[in-house]
Amino acid sequence: MLEHQSPELPRPARLLAAALPSWPLEMVLTRALRALADRRPELFERLGVHSRCVFVVRPTDLDFAFSVVPHRWQGRVSVVRPETRGDVHIEGPLLRLLGLLDGSLDGDALFFNRVISVSGRTDALLALRNAIEEAELAPSDLLGVSGRVGRFADAAILRAIQALQGMAEPAANATPGAL
Amino acid sequence: MAIELVCPAGTPSALRSAVDAGAHAVYCGFADETNARNFPGLNFSPAEMTKGVRYAHDHGAKVLVAINTFPKAGTFEPWRKALAAAEEAQADAVILADMAVLDHAATHHPGLRLHLSVQAAANTPEAIGFYADTFNVKRVVLPRVLSVEEIAKLNKEIDVETEAFVFGGLCPMTEGRCSLSSYATGRSPNLSGVCSPPEHVEYVEEADGTAVRLAGFTIDRFGKDEAAGYPTLCKGCFVAGGKSTHLFEDPVSLNAAGLVGRLADAGVTALKIEGRQRGKGYVAEVVKTFRAVVDAIEAGGDPVKAEQLLAGLVEGGRQTSGAYRKQWR
Repeated sequence: MLEHQSPELPRPARLLAAALPSWPLEMVLTRALRALADRRPELFERLGVHSRCVFVVRPTDLDFAFSVVPHRWQGRVSVVRPETRGDVHIEGPLLRLLGLLDGSLDGDALFFNRVISVSGRTDALLALRNAIEEAELAPSDLLGVSGRVGRFADAAILRAIQALQGMAEPAANATPGAL
Repeated sequence: MAIELVCPAGTPSALRSAVDAGAHAVYCGFADETNARNFPGLNFSPAEMTKGVRYAHDHGAKVLVAINTFPKAGTFEPWRKALAAAEEAQADAVILADMAVLDHAATHHPGLRLHLSVQAAANTPEAIGFYADTFNVKRVVLPRVLSVEEIAKLNKEIDVETEAFVFGGLCPMTEGRCSLSSYATGRSPNLSGVCSPPEHVEYVEEADGTAVRLAGFTIDRFGKDEAAGYPTLCKGCFVAGGKSTHLFEDPVSLNAAGLVGRLADAGVTALKIEGRQRGKGYVAEVVKTFRAVVDAIEAGGDPVKAEQLLAGLVEGGRQTSGAYRKQWR
């Protein structure tokens, strides 16, 4: 077995996520994606021709996946069934995927250690990874809020993530020093 | 400062991470085929380079711009523009490999400090002397095929600085002349800036693990619990003599942290960390660790356990001191 294993969300968090209706999540994430395109258009230039690709991101500890088309102001995030196919597929534990979003974890390291798996168009995957790397996303960016509300959201969500990591099953770091 | 730590940055945010983590110098490239990490979404626009250089200089670090691919006949313009943009950005040096690019830089940008890229594969006093005498090259990045003893001997016979890789992807080929990627995909790091171009790479989940395909050829398979590596032909698994093996090179990362003192004694000026294609998480962790290694050696402190600290970031889950300690030659 690999030395660096991946933590999964604790069962109560998984049950809570499963009970959430999908439409508010889709609405919030789509709005946040379009707000990011509005605020930082240069990030989406890094995607180049791949901005129209369908990226399916599947947290392996949830019962659903996200389908993301990051096409600037027409971008869309949908909650889809885990088996949904797209141009690119990324799978891994939610907490590790979040670490990729904020840049605290290295995608290659997670891939080498088999914490995440990828398939589909590798060129589009790399473009997305590099655009996200440059984005330095905070939780507030995913909610589409800024200012005082954004700072409050960042602090609260980061505390929640730390708490979830503490309860993760099994608890171990994929990359020492990260997250 | 006795030893310079030269660190990778594929994006402006990675540059800031490297500087913040203690890099003495950061190397990066423009977003086109003029550098050997020409991957989708990676690298810098001229405006981003200017801002990056300003950030580094404000924090006491240098920026070295890699323009280290070989122009094809009739396509010199991107390299000409890259040199002008590097000078405009006030880069501290440019890292070049092609003789025409070196000549253009020496002739039209005499204020630019020239470093010779590892892509030039110069590893003899004669070759290095030629580049120094002809183009006024000030530093050479050494190919990853020399032992520490060979580097010490080489340094006694040349008058330019040397830079040696100490961490990251390990290329044992004659760099700048490797055609493995071209053979399979038609594109190479030498001319296009990409080894195993991502549009030719495919990962396919199978019942017993993951198959890695390059331009339709299956070049490796990783079991479900087996650490993976980069999808390059040199690290592919082949059948030879009836045995299935990583014939050219294992998926493994270089880690020469334990040899930094000996490399310094051998006359090496700068230590290079590979990985412009890696994320900020990698850059921050590796730079911080190697800065601690360098500081500990200079202060005569206790050695840093770099192998342990960086174990989670390495390719194939394994680390090696590479050719630096090679005995069989």
